[in-house]
Amino acid sequence: MFDKLIDNSMAKSPWIFHVNAGSCNGCDIELVSVLTPRYDAERLGFRLTGTPRQADIVVVSGPITLQTRDRLVRILAQVPEPRVVVSLGSCPRSGNVFKGSYAIDGPLDKYTHVDVSVGGCTPKPEAIVAALAQAAEILREKRKEMHK
Amino acid sequence: MSAFMNNFPVLAVMTLFVGGFLNSLAGRRHGLVQKIVVLISITASLVMMLALVKPVMVDGEIITYWLGNWEPVEGWAIGIALEVDALSLFFGLIVTVAVFVSGVYSFTYMDHDDSLVNYYTLFMMLGGSVLGLVLSGDLFNIFVMVEIMTFTAVALTAFRSHYEGALEGAMKYLVVGSLGSTFLLVGIAIMYSQLHTLNLAQIAALLPEQSDNPLAGVAFAFLFIGFASKAFLFPFQPLAADAHAVAPASISLMISGVLTKCGVYGIIRMCYILYQNMDLPVVQYLVTGLGAVTMFICVTMAFQQHNFKRLLAFHSISQVGYVITAVGLGSALGVSAGLYHAMNHTIFKGLLFLTAGAVQHQTGSLDLDGLGGLAKKMPRTTALFLIGAASISGLPPFNGFASKWMIYQATFQKGVDTGNFFFIIVCVLALLTSVLTLASFIKVTQSVFFGQLPEKYKDVKEAPLLMRIPMWILAVLCIITGLFPTQVQNWLLLPATNAAYNAAGYIDAAMGEGYAALHNIVSSGVTSLGVSTCWNPIAWLALLFCITCAVTIVALLGSPDSKEDSHVSTADENAEELDPKYEPFFSGEESVYSQVGGSDLFWGFKHSWRKYFTFWTHWHSGIVNDYTLYGVVVTAFVLLACIIVL
Amino acid sequence: MTDLLFNLIYVLLFPGLLFCVVMGVLLAGLDRIWVARMQRRVGPPLLQSWYDFLKCCGKETIIPRHGKKAIYYGAPLLGFVALITISLFLPVVNGHAAFSGTADLVVILYLLTLVSVCMIVGASATGSPFAGVGLSREMVSMISYELPFVLVILTVSRAVLSGGDGASYTFSLQAIADYQVANGPLITHWALIPAAIAMLFVIPCEVGMHPFDVAEAETEICEGTLAEYSGPPLTLYRLTHMVKMFIMTALFCVLFLGGISTGFIVLDTLILVVFCLVLTFLTMSLPHAVCARFKTEQVFKFYWTVVAALAAVSLILVWLGF
Repeated sequence: MFDKLIDNSMAKSPWIFHVNAGSCNGCDIELVSVLTPRYDAERLGFRLTGTPRQADIVVVSGPITLQTRDRLVRILAQVPEPRVVVSLGSCPRSGNVFKGSYAIDGPLDKYTHVDVSVGGCTPKPEAIVAALAQAAEILREKRKEMHK
Repeated sequence: MSAFMNNFPVLAVMTLFVGGFLNSLAGRRHGLVQKIVVLISITASLVMMLALVKPVMVDGEIITYWLGNWEPVEGWAIGIALEVDALSLFFGLIVTVAVFVSGVYSFTYMDHDDSLVNYYTLFMMLGGSVLGLVLSGDLFNIFVMVEIMTFTAVALTAFRSHYEGALEGAMKYLVVGSLGSTFLLVGIAIMYSQLHTLNLAQIAALLPEQSDNPLAGVAFAFLFIGFASKAFLFPFQPLAADAHAVAPASISLMISGVLTKCGVYGIIRMCYILYQNMDLPVVQYLVTGLGAVTMFICVTMAFQQHNFKRLLAFHSISQVGYVITAVGLGSALGVSAGLYHAMNHTIFKGLLFLTAGAVQHQTGSLDLDGLGGLAKKMPRTTALFLIGAASISGLPPFNGFASKWMIYQATFQKGVDTGNFFFIIVCVLALLTSVLTLASFIKVTQSVFFGQLPEKYKDVKEAPLLMRIPMWILAVLCIITGLFPTQVQNWLLLPATNAAYNAAGYIDAAMGEGYAALHNIVSSGVTSLGVSTCWNPIAWLALLFCITCAVTIVALLGSPDSKEDSHVSTADENAEELDPKYEPFFSGEESVYSQVGGSDLFWGFKHSWRKYFTFWTHWHSGIVNDYTLYGVVVTAFVLLACIIVL
Repeated sequence: MTDLLFNLIYVLLFPGLLFCVVMGVLLAGLDRIWVARMQRRVGPPLLQSWYDFLKCCGKETIIPRHGKKAIYYGAPLLGFVALITISLFLPVVNGHAAFSGTADLVVILYLLTLVSVCMIVGASATGSPFAGVGLSREMVSMISYELPFVLVILTVSRAVLSGGDGASYTFSLQAIADYQVANGPLITHWALIPAAIAMLFVIPCEVGMHPFDVAEAETEICEGTLAEYSGPPLTLYRLTHMVKMFIMTALFCVLFLGGISTGFIVLDTLILVVFCLVLTFLTMSLPHAVCARFKTEQVFKFYWTVVAALAAVSLILVWLGF
């Protein structure tokens, strides 16, 4: 009965859970800068949560090291449907400068379907905001799929 | 009332005693015979007490029974009397209900133990002595009953002598309990030397004339401390903690729900009927002050406990502190609030001790840091525990809230009426104690019933039905007495409070019409409690129900149309591999057993109060000499106060 | 029949369920906007909390392995409903409650406790270690604000009795409302100003707003009590949180700003809404934008020394007859 309302709200209130899978912290800082007064992602309804249970969008940064691999998989499993995975920066896409290292077991799409991918080392905050906005739209589509 | 009912008080007491003796004669061979004898006698005494409700509570009669027909001659009571007014019957009902529940519970609970014939004999004697105490009309008889009660309780505390600390706890109880009994005896001796009588009614008539007599004050101090030690008031509370932790749960119920009530009953009977000095501010300060100190110290000490039943023990004394605080106010509202809380205390504390017993019976442990997650294995026990915990924490609409609400009103009203800031402090303390109680029970809930289940308890079963039935009786009583406070006030509290204020009626019933008037004792009794009618649990529940329905309807309208579509997923209990989706979020780490133990909770609070806690932990040294010393010091203090002021 | 109809309107529309939810969403939305503006941000739309609510309704609910399903669903529902009932007992409009004579100040204190307990028990039943830490903190902050709250309640009750005819209704909300209708708002009484300030401090802690949200610290303990909640039960907790903002500010209006009445329900409601907005700004948005989160023992210390002292000063002054 309220499905339409809920679908529309999906895109307006995406909550982000951020996983650092061995990132150098550059992307992480840029992600935080998205929430600062200059870019203010909260005006689009974004909010950082502390637990995957409440998340809609999982943002993964870093090249997936061996140490973080199992933890990443476990966290991705704990996010309730519908969910969207965003890869942040070049590392989860390709391994970036770490490619070929014995400590890396990437890329991210080995473990999960990646919905949105932002390139760059590090990506610009504008690019991140754009990616998150796109992820929110995908979230709405996924929700529509769910009750169809 | 038929003439035969006159015999009910003595019969109710005797059934319990005779049941105990029959048990040791006939029950030695067969467990079944034991249980039948016990069941018959506890039921019989309960039925007899219930039968007295109509004449005593409703019609307001006072039943006097002279043992051996030794009636008073020329205004002197020589024989031993049983005198049952509404106050006695109120406590008699509490006692018999508790004995009944505890007895039924023991049938299954004690099945791991041997030499049960001794257990049941002692148990029946304990019940009989307490019932005898509250129904007695004779001061020395009260002392005898106190002695029987203390010694059977000590023996039962040590019944599981293979437990660590059982003999030690019993020993402490024995020594300090004897100290209390001795004070009681000294008080009685002084009283007898001055008044040459032991009959309560006659003392009540003669004593007010002796108000100038310093020895009356001395006797008051001794009797007060004697009864206070039986209620485990400050500084006697460590005994209760030691005894409860090791005693079987059914006996913990008796000690907390029944034995402490003897102290409460004694203090009410003494202050309101014998001395009739509750109007004096010094008595109010003494009783209320002691109650408030007990209430607060015990509830904070409960934060430090790691043992389930030890924690409950401290709370038990804390709640008795509430009762004494309310009783000491010297107003009709105060007495009725105290009586209400005394009744509720027996019910919810009994329930909590029985759930603790069930946990112990099923898991073999009472360690708050080691248990956890039992809600999955013992859901019914958990529900019962939550009812008890909500009651003792004073959450509406359970009974603890109704009586605590009356206590706050009574203390505040008293403060406003007298303009005395002392009572406002007491009121604040009472409200604070309530939230601290809640905190403690959150600790138990989290560390025993919720959280994660340790590996070694994965085969734990639900408590057997025979153990759950007594618990359900108490749980239902919790709810009923909480939902109908007005009815409880009208049918039980008003008659009992009236009896506490009706010294003249009490005297006349025993000594013959006009005896009280002869000694210039006039009392009017109480016709209304003056309680505000601002709490209506039924209306609140109706509103609650109404809104819940509305919310549920909206939720159902919004929920998916077909079952397959529903977005709720639960873990498959039988799956071989643990699906990480349902593991608790632990920052991505593999799920390991990670229970937040009981003693780790409330760190912020305990850290801020560390000096206070250190002091009191050292104070509870566990050395019996210390405890005796505390008892003697407080007695000396009370004696001085009474001699100087009374 | 009309009585029943009116009661249903009270319970479901005004001042019950619907009004509470609307006010809660409004206050929460404005709070977020104000905080954003104070940080020179644009901030989310006014209805952001409403979108959050709807979005959570559409999410999957995962009941964790150690969780107990009945309590996972029951605790949020009971807490929310118990909170809504409070609104029916507050004499917010025209100095009358929808259901007077059912509850007094002490009952309201305990109903607020019940709401927190539902949250704690719900968190406890998920079996998460983060929730274990969170519920411990929630309980400590509850102990913290309870003392000043109790002192404020006693102060107000005493002040009302001293001016009134010594009615036997000691903690009655109706008596407080009547007194203020006769003698003007209690905040104009100088001896009560410290108590009013103490109550202003109690509001954010009771609601669990930012500097005092030790129990739900999202960065330190992963949302604490809510760590394992997802889907509709989560949104019910969030809604409870929002409605609590309204209930607590309305309670302040009842205790200290009562007696301002124009005689028209609509105008009175508007006045109430304005008061609630101002109070939300003062007690929640401002500290949220200015302060960093306290530690648990700092919260405890602050409430038991500074705030409790303020309330105690008022209590003593009122007691001495000022």
